[in-house]
Amino acid sequence: MAKKLNPKKIMKDGLAVENPIVFQVIGICSALAVTNLMLNSLIMGIALTFVTALSSFTVSLLKDRTPGHIRMMIQVLIISVYVIIVDIFLQAYMPEMSKALGPYVGLIITNCIIMGRAEAFAISNPPIASLIDGAAAGLGYTAVLMIIAVVREFLGFGTMFGFNVTPANWTAWTMMIMPPGAFFILALIIWIATEYKISKEKGVSTK
Amino acid sequence: MKKKSFVYPVVFMVLVTAVFTLVLSFLNQTSKAAIELNKKVELHRKILYVFDMYDESDSVEEVSKKFEENIEEKKYKEDKVVYVLKEGNETKAYAVPFDGPGLWGSIDGYIGVDKDLKHLTGIEFINQAETPGLGGRIGEAPYKEQFRNVDITNKVGDEIIVNRPAPGGNIDAIAGATQTSTFVKNMLNQDLIEFISGGGVE
Repeated sequence: MAKKLNPKKIMKDGLAVENPIVFQVIGICSALAVTNLMLNSLIMGIALTFVTALSSFTVSLLKDRTPGHIRMMIQVLIISVYVIIVDIFLQAYMPEMSKALGPYVGLIITNCIIMGRAEAFAISNPPIASLIDGAAAGLGYTAVLMIIAVVREFLGFGTMFGFNVTPANWTAWTMMIMPPGAFFILALIIWIATEYKISKEKGVSTK
Repeated sequence: MKKKSFVYPVVFMVLVTAVFTLVLSFLNQTSKAAIELNKKVELHRKILYVFDMYDESDSVEEVSKKFEENIEEKKYKEDKVVYVLKEGNETKAYAVPFDGPGLWGSIDGYIGVDKDLKHLTGIEFINQAETPGLGGRIGEAPYKEQFRNVDITNKVGDEIIVNRPAPGGNIDAIAGATQTSTFVKNMLNQDLIEFISGGGVE
């Protein structure tokens, strides 16, 4: 752990350079599932950010005491605790949202992003850095979800955050709010982002 | 070292689990009342909607008040409940439970019928998992509002609810969601006819 941990760099990695969805292509199950409405995506993103940040933090806090061979059990335990907290919170204070997200709240437990961050970062880094790393990955996830959701909700329902923004004769693209719509948009985003990354790397190497 | 021993991991796991379980059960206990209340209010809203008495601007208290004052629960079949709308001592209408298979999962809800069992008052779905934007539109107002005041005295074959454009149709099916529309129609016919032929509840 000789390398210095720069919070700014951690943030940038999570949000852009190593964006969990676009470049690591993990956690896309829920990204495909809940993105037909912007509000759902936002709440899902916040919930995931909360869980990733705090579980990374907790994993890191306990890392010196955790025996290596049972660390995964401990990680899953910690993650599920935070997911259950989110689930209880939604049921108690946002019942509508809890219904809209349905099983996907519980499925945050299996989201690869959280386990990935715990294994790749939190288990070998100090708590505060892990907290930032987890939050960055979560926010990166949220950002991509929101981009997908903007396109899908606008084209599929003609609304933004539930507000009508299209003329009355707007024909909704039903395809967009069904699963295939998510695949198309996500694939396009990954394509564009990867192209951009490649072109940037080429630019650097020819210099 | 200590960490390598057999006992340490077991003790550690037990301790960590105990601590987190304690935290969760505490949270669960403190939020239990709020969650139950939410569920109850949600159901009350839906039953009021079936009787066309629901106003979106109603607060939680108003919903509960309206519900307590006007609606009675009656046991129906073995494990179901019919909600009875009363005015004074007089029965005005019933909210009859229905359920059946949908395209993706089972659908259930309540259909309102007046005391003479001749007109519908409204419909509301409790659980449905149809395709959003297609079959899922059964949960949206334009579809549900069609069930207000529908005359169900004209039977077509042995159906009282018929999707248009079939002869005698009284409900518009959802375009692009023929299956869902048919499932809903079938479960309504089955459960409603059963209720009507039983003469309602006493």
